[in-house]
Amino acid sequence: MNLFLEGIPQNFFGGAWYIFSQYFPLFIQGVGVTLLLAVTGTIFGFLLSLIFASLKIQTVDSRDSSPRKVLKLAGKYFSSIYITFFRGTPMIVQAMIFYYLFYSWGIRWSPLVAGLFVVTVNTTAYIAEVIRGGIGAIDKGQMEAARSLGFNRRKAMRLIILPQAIKNSIPAIGNEFIVNIKDTAVLSVIGVIDLYNATRAASSVFYRFTEGFFVAALIYLFLTFTSSKILAYIEKRLEGNKIKPRTPKTNEVTL
Amino acid sequence: MSQQAVIQIRDLKKSFDGVPVLQGIHLDIFPKEVVCIIGSSGSGKTTLLRCLNLLNEPDSGSILFENNELMDRNTDIDALRMKMGMVFQSFNLFNNKNVIDNCTLAPIHLLQMSKTEAQARAIEKLDQVGMKDFAYSKVSSLSGGQRQRVAIARALCMNPTVMLFDEPTSALDPEMVGEVLTVMRDLAKNGMTMVVVTHEMSFAKDVANRVIFMDGGVILEQGTPNQIFKHPKEKRTQEFLKRIIEQI
Repeated sequence: MNLFLEGIPQNFFGGAWYIFSQYFPLFIQGVGVTLLLAVTGTIFGFLLSLIFASLKIQTVDSRDSSPRKVLKLAGKYFSSIYITFFRGTPMIVQAMIFYYLFYSWGIRWSPLVAGLFVVTVNTTAYIAEVIRGGIGAIDKGQMEAARSLGFNRRKAMRLIILPQAIKNSIPAIGNEFIVNIKDTAVLSVIGVIDLYNATRAASSVFYRFTEGFFVAALIYLFLTFTSSKILAYIEKRLEGNKIKPRTPKTNEVTL
Repeated sequence: MSQQAVIQIRDLKKSFDGVPVLQGIHLDIFPKEVVCIIGSSGSGKTTLLRCLNLLNEPDSGSILFENNELMDRNTDIDALRMKMGMVFQSFNLFNNKNVIDNCTLAPIHLLQMSKTEAQARAIEKLDQVGMKDFAYSKVSSLSGGQRQRVAIARALCMNPTVMLFDEPTSALDPEMVGEVLTVMRDLAKNGMTMVVVTHEMSFAKDVANRVIFMDGGVILEQGTPNQIFKHPKEKRTQEFLKRIIEQI
C-alpha cells in the first residue's frame, strides 16, 4: 500500500483540500508558470502581431518601384501563410513540432522556453487577425484625411490608423489573454510544469485525479474570472476617456 | 487672365471599373481664384476634385500643380499634397486626437515644426475659424459645423496654396451650414485659392469668381456666376438650375 494514501480523507472535498494543501507550493508554481505563459504570449504576441498585420494589409501602389512591389507581395504572402498555419493547426501539435525541431538542430532548450516560444508565435497569428480587422474597421476617411495633409501611408498608419485600431482591439486582445490562460495547458505535452502538469503530478501521488483536477478547475476559473474583471475595468476606463470631453484649458498655450 | 495658373488640368480621364467618370477635363485654376464646381450627382465633380491631389488616381491626362506634373510617377506627391489643403464632406477629423492635436499633427511631423510653434499656429488658425475656445476639446464633443470648421483649420495649418472643398456642407444640419460658409467666405476674401464642389448655389453666386457646371464627366459650361445662374447657355445647365430652384 502506498504510504501517501493513508493520510488523505476519503470524501471528495476533503480529498481535494488535502491535495491542495499538501502540494500548495507546487500549485502556486504551476499558477506562476501558467500566468507567465499567458502574459508573455499575449504581450509578445501583440507586439509581433503589429508586424504581421502591417505586412498583410500592404497594398501595391502603382507608384511603387518593381523591387518594392515584390517585397510588399512577399511580405503579404508570408504573413498570410503564417497566420493560416498557426490558426489552422492545434497549439499542441505546434508545440510538438517546434520543441523537437529545435532539438534536432542541437538547440537544447528547456520546456518552459519552448512553451513561451510556442504560445507567442501562436498568439501572434490570432492577434494579427484581430488588428487587421481593427484596421479594416477604421473609417477610410481617416486615411484619406492623413494622405491629403501629406502623410505617407506608413506614417498615417502609425500615427492615426493603428492607435485607433489597437484601442478598438483591446477587448479582443484581452479575450486572447484569457484564452491563453486556459489553452496553455496543452503545453504540458512538452513538459512545461504549468498548472495542468503541476496538478497531474500532485494528484497522481494519491491516485485522486478527479479531486486534483477539481482544484485545478477552481484555480483556472479564479484566474480567468479575475482577469476578465480586470480587463472589463480597463475597457471601461478607456471608454470613459472617449466620451468624457476634456474641459478647455485656455492657459495651455502661451502666445 | 495673364497670370500663370496654379493648377492646370489637361485632358484628364478617369473611369471606375470601366465606367467613365471623367471624360477629358480641361481646366485652369488661377491664384486667388474661387472656383465652384456644380452639377448633379454622378457628374464627376467630386472625382475631379479628388483627382487634383490624387486621392483618386486619374487614368490619363495631365495635372500641373505649380509646374509639377502630378501624373509623373517620380513626383513626390506627398510633398505637393502638403500645399493642397482638403476639406471633406464627412470632416474626417482624427478620432484619436483632440482639436488642437488634429491641427498640430501634420505641421509637427511633416514641416518639422516644434510643438510650441505648431500650437501657436493652430491657435491662430482655430481663432480664424472661431474655434479657439474648443482647442482642447474632444472631437466627439463637437457639432458637425464645429468639426468642419476644425477640419478647415487643420488644413490651413499647413499654409496651403490651394484649398479643395468636397461638398463641405452636405453632411451638415441646415442650421450649421451658415457657420461653415462664413468661414469659407472669409477665406476667399483673404485671397485663398479655392476649388469648391458644392450644392450651395447662393454661396457659388456670392463668392465664386467662376462657376463650372459639370455633366456626364465633362465641363459643359463655365463662366462668372452671373453668366451661369442668370444666362445659362446649355440646356442641361438650365434644367439643372431649374431643378435646384424648384427644391427651394
